[in-house]
Amino acid sequence: MVRTTSGSRRILKWIGNGLLVVLLVWTLLPFYWMIATSLKADREIYGFEATLYPHRPTLAAYGRLFGTTPFMKYVRNSTIIAIGNTVLSLAFGCLGAYALARLRFPGRALIARGLVVTYLVPPALLFIPLFAVMSVLRLIDTHQGLILAYLSFSVPFSTWLLMGYFRSVPLELEEAALVDGCSRLGSLVRVILPMSLPALAVVTFFSFTQSWNEFLYANVFVNSVEVRTITMGLSLFVVEDVFFWGPMMAASFLSTLPPLVMYLIFQRWVVKGLTLGAVKG
Amino acid sequence: MSSMNRRDVLKLAGAAGVAATGPWWRVGKSHAQRPKKLVYWHLPNFTPLADQIQKEQVYEFAKQAGLKESEVEYAVVANEQAAAKLAASIEAGNPPDVIRLYESNVQFYGSQGHLLDVTELVAKMRREPKGIFESSMTAVVYKGRALGVPLAVNPWPVHARLDLLEQAKVEYPKTWDEFIETSKKIQSPPRLYAFGMCLGLVEDTTDNVMNLLWCYGGKMVEADNRTVVMNSAANVAGVKVIEAMFKTHKIIPQGAIGWDNSGNNKAYQSKQAAFVMNPSSIYAYLDSNDKDLQKVTGLFPVPAGPKGTVNQIDTWSYGAFKKNPYPDIARGLIEYFMQPANYDKIIQSTGGRWVPVYKRLFDSPFWREKPEFKHFVNMAETGVPVSYAGAPTPAAGEVLNTHVIPKMIQRVLVDNWEPAKALEECDKRIVEIYSRYNKA
Repeated sequence: MVRTTSGSRRILKWIGNGLLVVLLVWTLLPFYWMIATSLKADREIYGFEATLYPHRPTLAAYGRLFGTTPFMKYVRNSTIIAIGNTVLSLAFGCLGAYALARLRFPGRALIARGLVVTYLVPPALLFIPLFAVMSVLRLIDTHQGLILAYLSFSVPFSTWLLMGYFRSVPLELEEAALVDGCSRLGSLVRVILPMSLPALAVVTFFSFTQSWNEFLYANVFVNSVEVRTITMGLSLFVVEDVFFWGPMMAASFLSTLPPLVMYLIFQRWVVKGLTLGAVKG
Repeated sequence: MSSMNRRDVLKLAGAAGVAATGPWWRVGKSHAQRPKKLVYWHLPNFTPLADQIQKEQVYEFAKQAGLKESEVEYAVVANEQAAAKLAASIEAGNPPDVIRLYESNVQFYGSQGHLLDVTELVAKMRREPKGIFESSMTAVVYKGRALGVPLAVNPWPVHARLDLLEQAKVEYPKTWDEFIETSKKIQSPPRLYAFGMCLGLVEDTTDNVMNLLWCYGGKMVEADNRTVVMNSAANVAGVKVIEAMFKTHKIIPQGAIGWDNSGNNKAYQSKQAAFVMNPSSIYAYLDSNDKDLQKVTGLFPVPAGPKGTVNQIDTWSYGAFKKNPYPDIARGLIEYFMQPANYDKIIQSTGGRWVPVYKRLFDSPFWREKPEFKHFVNMAETGVPVSYAGAPTPAAGEVLNTHVIPKMIQRVLVDNWEPAKALEECDKRIVEIYSRYNKA
């Protein structure tokens, strides 16, 4: 009997490992393909046989990317916008979540549920009304405008996630801080936030990557190269029915690096935050 | 947390609605107060050099018109993304002053009253020595007035591998029957198929299919832009030829069923197809990326059917939007672009991608010295739009964008429907589209 159970476990373990390998290949293959294509010459990309690795590796696509396009400007703009959005999402998310988790006021439940509703509205429905708002506010083609637009999806998610996490922090700790003379803001900064680092890591990672990868709003709200983001820059590698695969893949590869580095830094907290905070409340 | 009732949901929806639409009444005011006097959205040309020249021309014009650089907005917009951006800007009352528009878009925006009348400017162009290719006028004229300025005539030649024809000791085929026989001689599947005909659910399929049907006397709609004639014996004959090329002669790769608009480009550029019907974007791509293949590439009219050779063109135009406090500046910019000397610089810098609307520009060595271009004048002169025999109206644009004709050909090739039955279904769908627009 013992032997049978042990055998079953071993089989399950092998199946599990097999599935993990499949998922790993599934996840990494596009990434590998992107890098490999960026290192191929045009002739190899368009060759009859798809080559698994670059037979004559070349950095020509990277040369073209940096030599003929303002790629570094795109990186700069994406960075400004992603960091701006992340900082503001954290600030608004923390304050909003604290209010909804701890304060008692009329309409609290409605606002809390409204956050979810807001988050569920697809950007494809919002971009035209938002464009009108941005036009009125003279925020078209500005970093600020794009940051504000991105807050429309990052703040609801951040607030909702942090709200659940804040509720898991024992009320007694905060009450003790209040008794010791802390203000509401003080107890948020000194007590609740230090205990919510995993959730803050998730919010940071989420807001950054969402802003970094966003395309629709960037396409509609931005006109000039001074504000153009990487995702918009990528779309310019398609001219009519011709795809300039080499530079496009080079730019795609380079643009994945900042979120990747960020994830590696925050990985430990991100996993913890997703598994704890997201399921509470 | 208490649960949300229906009233709460309604309140929430109302608040969201007011918040989203609240500032609409201020849109007009915002537009009138805009700091820029000239907003030009640039869709990339085929070469960086052409883009650079065009940008310089925008600022040269602005200087001549007494504008400061800070009063000019020059925005680069990706071709594929222009529609969404334009839709938002029009809704918000803040469209660009000038933009390049593809074929049926002139009539689409023009019929909604968004475009400035540029009839006088077009008339001036027509008065140039030798005039312009009149075939381009069908795209820009709406109810007798020109609402766009034709920028380039875009022929759809057959790109053909001359080296393969030479190896097989055959000439470029003059008829579709010859085309099939030649194809069988030069192809060596699966590495090389003869005909990279686009058959996926994309716009290029409509172009490729209709081009062949015209040679058999077929068409989609009559010149009145009302009478749909898709369900005709001529179209049945043409579809049967495509079916035979795909199923019997096997000169079209099976994978063409799933191609996107770049499928035929890729097939030719990777030497997997010997013939493709496409605008000269492929030729222009080879000019800067694969000179060896370009050297053995010929550009030919489509082979003839029982009704002769009918070539396709599409027309790109400049459109100027009405919602603009400085309409004369917008018109002035287009006029500056279209001054033959300025215009010729851009056209030549695209390496053959854009074909000039001014006939006399074909006298220059650029067009005369390359044998590949020798058929272009005739194609530009006699070519017809994909909506032939009708004009590229908004209805024709919807037929193209909703892939009604690609669905028809896939009924035949994938679902094994009889051509007549597939065309009958297709005809009904097109009638429905045209009726809707003609009622409006």
